[in-house]
Amino acid sequence: MEWASEPGEEGPKPGLNPPLRAAREGAPGRMEFKLEAHRIVSISLGKIYNSRVQRGGIKLHKNLLVSLVLRSARQVYLSDPCPGLYLAGPSGTPMALPQLPGEPAAGPAAGWGEPAPPAVPAAWQETQPHPERSAVPDAQRAVDAEPAAPGIDAGDAVLGGQAAAGPAWRLMEGPREAAAGGPGNPAGASEVFPEVARAASHHCGRPPGGEDQPGALGATPRGDCCCAKEEAPAPPPIGPRKRGAAGAGGVGGPAGCPAPSSTPLKKPRRDLEEPSSGAAAEEEEEMETGNVANLISIFGSSFSGLLRKSPGGGREEADGEENGPEAAEPGQICCDKPVLRDMNPWSTAIVAF
Amino acid sequence: MNYPDESTYGTKADIISTVEFNHTGELLATGDKGGRVVIFQREQESKNQVHRRGEYNVYSTFQSHEPEFDYLKSLEIEEKINKIRWLPQQNAAYFLLSTNDKTVKLWKVSERDKRPEGYNLKDEEGRLRDPATITTLRVPVLRPMDLMVEATPRRVFANAHTYHINSISVNSDYETYMSADDLRINLWNFEITNQSFNIVDIKPANMEELTEVITAAEFHPHHCNTFVYSSSKGTIRLCDMRASALCDRHTKFFEEPEDPSNRSFFSEIISSISDVKFSHSGRYIMTRDYLTVKVWDLNMENRPIETYQVHDYLRSKLCSLYENDCIFDKFECVWNGSDSVIMTGSYNNFFRMFDRNTKRDVTLEASRENSKPRAILKPRKVCVGGKRRKDEISVDSLDFSKKILHTAWHPSENIIAVAATNNLYIFQDKVN
Repeated sequence: MEWASEPGEEGPKPGLNPPLRAAREGAPGRMEFKLEAHRIVSISLGKIYNSRVQRGGIKLHKNLLVSLVLRSARQVYLSDPCPGLYLAGPSGTPMALPQLPGEPAAGPAAGWGEPAPPAVPAAWQETQPHPERSAVPDAQRAVDAEPAAPGIDAGDAVLGGQAAAGPAWRLMEGPREAAAGGPGNPAGASEVFPEVARAASHHCGRPPGGEDQPGALGATPRGDCCCAKEEAPAPPPIGPRKRGAAGAGGVGGPAGCPAPSSTPLKKPRRDLEEPSSGAAAEEEEEMETGNVANLISIFGSSFSGLLRKSPGGGREEADGEENGPEAAEPGQICCDKPVLRDMNPWSTAIVAF
Repeated sequence: MNYPDESTYGTKADIISTVEFNHTGELLATGDKGGRVVIFQREQESKNQVHRRGEYNVYSTFQSHEPEFDYLKSLEIEEKINKIRWLPQQNAAYFLLSTNDKTVKLWKVSERDKRPEGYNLKDEEGRLRDPATITTLRVPVLRPMDLMVEATPRRVFANAHTYHINSISVNSDYETYMSADDLRINLWNFEITNQSFNIVDIKPANMEELTEVITAAEFHPHHCNTFVYSSSKGTIRLCDMRASALCDRHTKFFEEPEDPSNRSFFSEIISSISDVKFSHSGRYIMTRDYLTVKVWDLNMENRPIETYQVHDYLRSKLCSLYENDCIFDKFECVWNGSDSVIMTGSYNNFFRMFDRNTKRDVTLEASRENSKPRAILKPRKVCVGGKRRKDEISVDSLDFSKKILHTAWHPSENIIAVAATNNLYIFQDKVN
């Protein structure tokens, strides 16, 4: 057999991948690095989110890899706090997610830009006694914005949920609406959390950290209590979560909006937000980056499993990063519900998506 | 490669997910995302048609797995066939194992070329005859009929895997086989479907501490007590089932130290091993990660003896490949019959062969446009930078949606099967 001889193809020089979008002129290399890390974080979150809705259940391997990337990017992102990074607004840096090509995420995000972040926690705290949840809406918002950027399909479930959440939220949550004010959304952002919170309060009175909560919520007929679920396979939050989002009769699904309707709702929602996007652009960018930072701190406190091995983590590490993907895989990890019980609300937030 | 014969089999957007020759190379099985198995059989060589030496034609098609829904977990179980493995032939029938994410099935593929005729109580259409009309007795006889190939599921091995099955491997004792998912490996006896032995369990007590998963596993070709499994961290463990019932402690541990100059956000992803294969001799193992193929000597654990760059020009594109999910593609790798050449796939419908002896390599393309029957495959080249020569293709022009993940090599001849999305290409080397 003849083999044609081919000289080996030369690879590029080894090293970190250059940022794929040009950083601002004059920006230091570290800034580029952080921008890249930021972008990777947002893409990773989108993938984790997407994995919940893909056919065949969550792929443990892929989610593990994504969580590793997330951790690396996060380490870079937080390794050297750079105040400039968070105040990216006026200079029009492309780092804000809505600027990612082809992504109209600016719409919904713009809407959320209006109320200042502190208002959200306040609103949240009024209705939800759980103090830790104050940052959750930030996380929610940031996560919504972030996944929206990398993948439209990611956005569908999130934004759909959010979009559905907005108007539906108004219908069902009078007091919160008043507290949040505005068409938009910190309320929307917290939309998913009411679900989680409600789940928490409904299900055998366990603290909302339990992964079972959202799941159990959606799957009403389940008689089992997560307390008893230590050995037995527990219902995955994903399935019921999907139903909740889809509004397919999940009890306590606050939005109660079925997935089909979330799509049409998404459009009016964006239309609503478009006009204000220009004005809110600055605010929104600022908010988004700020939220990303919050989100990362939130995730940071949750990703203890990997962070324990990393230096200089400083923050409380109650749960592993794997909580995201793994908790999201209860379908696969059905025997691991006990782990998920210990999950703090931040991790629940991830799963809620 | 001279004189390849090409036969293609195109289905409607059904992506081939596994390709496997049987032990003699007479049969070639493919599984697809729709849960179907298609078996090709090689034509007998005929003196009259020397140039049509052994083409592969469809022999049998059957639906192996159907989509299922796990109501308890609210999860859909995909019907996609992840792996097919043949059993060695022991009688006139052929047996193969096929698996989706959760369930392994043993299929018997057999031929029927005679049928009984002349029943007493039934007529030729099978309708019952009125006993009152029967006046004579006769003995049914077997008469020839058109060849019919039928596939019947003989065993179903279900409910043993919590996670997604990624590998199955038939043991050299032909009595047992193993199935591996992300965290566990189970040993089965072909005759027993309601039990399996768990031989590897890497699930941590606390799932938050999960750091690696099992990505592939295979039995040693000759030693029925030995198997290897690869991990997402780029390591391979060789286990001996004689050592203990639960082989959580490896006998050998193969790992290459990471090159610190290549560190990036995606280092962990690209080091994840997507396939591991023993050589036919049983002396080497080959592993495939995202950018390279490595050959390891079982006697040397600290580094591979050979490393081949499959498409190193992608190293600078990892971020884009992460975004479009290509970085998670699981390429397989195969040995040729004599373990002298290894083959693996790439993007743009390219696949690569590396000759271990001459250290020469070639890039070939599986495409309808470039391959006509009996045309010689032209080597392709990817241009990395600078001036692009006439026949070269630049990295940015590569089509990442055309990926060759699954290939197979005939056990004794130079015939290869290459699955390009939903097309199967079979190339032969005609030795003059």
